Amino acid sequence: MNTFTGTYLDGRSSKPVQVGITFEGTTLRLQDCTAVSPDIVVPLQNCSATPPLGGTRRSLILPGGARCETRDAELLALVDSHRGPAGSVRIVNFLESGWKTALACLLGLFLCLWGFVAAGIPFLAKMAAVAVPAAVTDRLSRQTLAVLDTRFLEPSELGADRSAHLQNLFHGLVDRKRSPANYRLELRKSDQVGANAFALPSGLIVMTDELVGLAANDRELIGVLAHEIAHVENRHGLRVLFQNAGTLLLVSALAGDMSSISAAGETLPTLLIESGYSRRFEKEADRAAGTYLIRMGWGTSSLQNILARLAKTAPIHPAFALFSTHPDLEERIGYLKKMDRTR
Amino acid sequence: MAGETRPLDEDIGHLEMENQQAIDDSRRPSDARNPEFTVYQVRQRLRLRFTGTGGQYFRIWIVNLFLTVLTLGIYSAWAKVRTRRYFYAHTLLADLPFDYRANPWFILRGNLILGFGLLLFLALESFRPVYSGVVLAAFYAFLPFLIYKSLRFNAYNSTYRNLRFRFRGSLKESYNTYLFIPLLIPLTLGLIFPYWVFRRKKYFFENFTFGRSPNTYTGSAGPFYQVYGITGLMVILLAVVAGGGVFFFVPQPHGLALGLDDMDRFFTLLPVAGFLVAMTAFTCIQQFLFARLTNYCWDRTSVEGLCFNSSLTVGNLLWLRLTNLLGIIFSMGLLIPWARVRRARYLVGSLILFSDRSLDTFAAAEQSAESAIGEAATGFFDIDIGL
Repeated sequence: MNTFTGTYLDGRSSKPVQVGITFEGTTLRLQDCTAVSPDIVVPLQNCSATPPLGGTRRSLILPGGARCETRDAELLALVDSHRGPAGSVRIVNFLESGWKTALACLLGLFLCLWGFVAAGIPFLAKMAAVAVPAAVTDRLSRQTLAVLDTRFLEPSELGADRSAHLQNLFHGLVDRKRSPANYRLELRKSDQVGANAFALPSGLIVMTDELVGLAANDRELIGVLAHEIAHVENRHGLRVLFQNAGTLLLVSALAGDMSSISAAGETLPTLLIESGYSRRFEKEADRAAGTYLIRMGWGTSSLQNILARLAKTAPIHPAFALFSTHPDLEERIGYLKKMDRTR
Repeated sequence: MAGETRPLDEDIGHLEMENQQAIDDSRRPSDARNPEFTVYQVRQRLRLRFTGTGGQYFRIWIVNLFLTVLTLGIYSAWAKVRTRRYFYAHTLLADLPFDYRANPWFILRGNLILGFGLLLFLALESFRPVYSGVVLAAFYAFLPFLIYKSLRFNAYNSTYRNLRFRFRGSLKESYNTYLFIPLLIPLTLGLIFPYWVFRRKKYFFENFTFGRSPNTYTGSAGPFYQVYGITGLMVILLAVVAGGGVFFFVPQPHGLALGLDDMDRFFTLLPVAGFLVAMTAFTCIQQFLFARLTNYCWDRTSVEGLCFNSSLTVGNLLWLRLTNLLGIIFSMGLLIPWARVRRARYLVGSLILFSDRSLDTFAAAEQSAESAIGEAATGFFDIDIGL
């Protein structure tokens, strides 16, 4: 008959009692080594043991709230064999037990994160963007335009003829679309923004006089408008919004666990991931615009030309090149050229 | 390394007896109800010991992270309990460990409720900004309750020698400490801030108890004002030095060609240098405050014949912080477990307990079964409040 040793703590006082533990068939007998208190006999089936955790000492959990700390592996194995830890606990213990499994977890962690950033967040954002009702995007877009109007934009100074012509071009692009978006072209002048065009989620597209002035012909403007319409069509605006929120949530959840790293370390990955997302959307919009231009039989050269001219008016500061949301000009033009060649 | 400069290798698990005369009588707790105090007239000096290792904790940490990501955050409740249990169970006093026994399901429930609140807030902020303010106000009104519940929950689930700790603070005091005094900070131009910190510490140290009696906390607000006064002077001094530095080092345009180039380089480097200086200063001040206030609070706390001495030094903390930070940065975060273990080892190793009685003579506080269930089930919010 084996006798094990342990430290008995009754849960009512802080006095530890050294005990000898004997296994008697279906019961455990705890005997005070100093023979002061009477023996305690408990059925083995009413005992369990605290789950193992990284070299911490384990205890038997006895009925009535008492515990008995023990380092006797044999005794613990005996108790575990009667009422072992749950399967999930055993899996976690197995993973924590060695370096190989720990490294496998590290690898798994990287794979999960990569998968989540590359596919999970964009997928969820797309679902969310599709679910947003048109009334909400309408109000959101109108509010955004109102803010832009008070801060950056001024009324267009193009003549009525020119405006009407541009509206015609725009309607030629959108009228055939069977899309829930509420397409509208707004013309504005802006010294601050310069030559630019952008799309708001509801289908509201803003183009500046400066951009119109930069264009050598209608086809160039059609290329730009087709690019912006593609952003609306694919709900890029809302998706970027949701993806950025998701990224922020993910990074801060991770960084929350790494609380010793300052906020600066948090912004960098967020920025990198966000700019990566936006690049993908720009490329998608370029492809849509290019496809349209090619289908019209014009080729993509008009879009290439205005992109090159745009880049000249607003040269990107080299320090921000890493974070620029528009893919490098050469890359974009190269992509459009390739589309031309493979049509 | 700072963590290792302490005499950790000496056998600190053993009790060291000291003559009573050797100890400052003013800090000696008196507990007439304890007969051993009058009989033996000796005081035990007990050091706490931390036995965790970076390698062990790394494996727990990485498995926690992996499973948390894999389960989209659900596992974080279990991860939290395992982490805390690891650190508690490797902290030994008189060769017996502490333990943490929270039920992760309750923490998960709290996480889900808080997460839902956060989502609601974010959604409202994007689409109905007016209401998001209401949610935020409701959260702040609710926060003292959460902190109160969280402290009770954590105390109830922390044990030593199979006896639970207890948090005896009242909800009313939590509202005073975490809602009403902070509201006064802007009104008093921040002058009440050190007092607020004092009240927060008092709320914790006075009420987090072991055994049957309440704690005695004899701290006062004065030393908090002193520490924050020194901090304020350091900030002013630093601002003067930094301002002088900028003025002194600003390149003078001697020749035009050279001057422009220098100016350019100077203004590129200025934000970087400024950031580094500010971060260093912030870290120094943070560690200074932590060391001084932690030492002070432990020194002024006693319970049933026990009192404490914490001997953290700013130098050791700074060295620990600096080396940990560098390790974490250059290992891309992989050394975080080692950093945490080093810090825990230092913090735990710096705390000494003086006991006028045997540690064997504590008794569990009476608690009806009903209130025990309430404690475990309703105190599910586990907020880490910066103490």
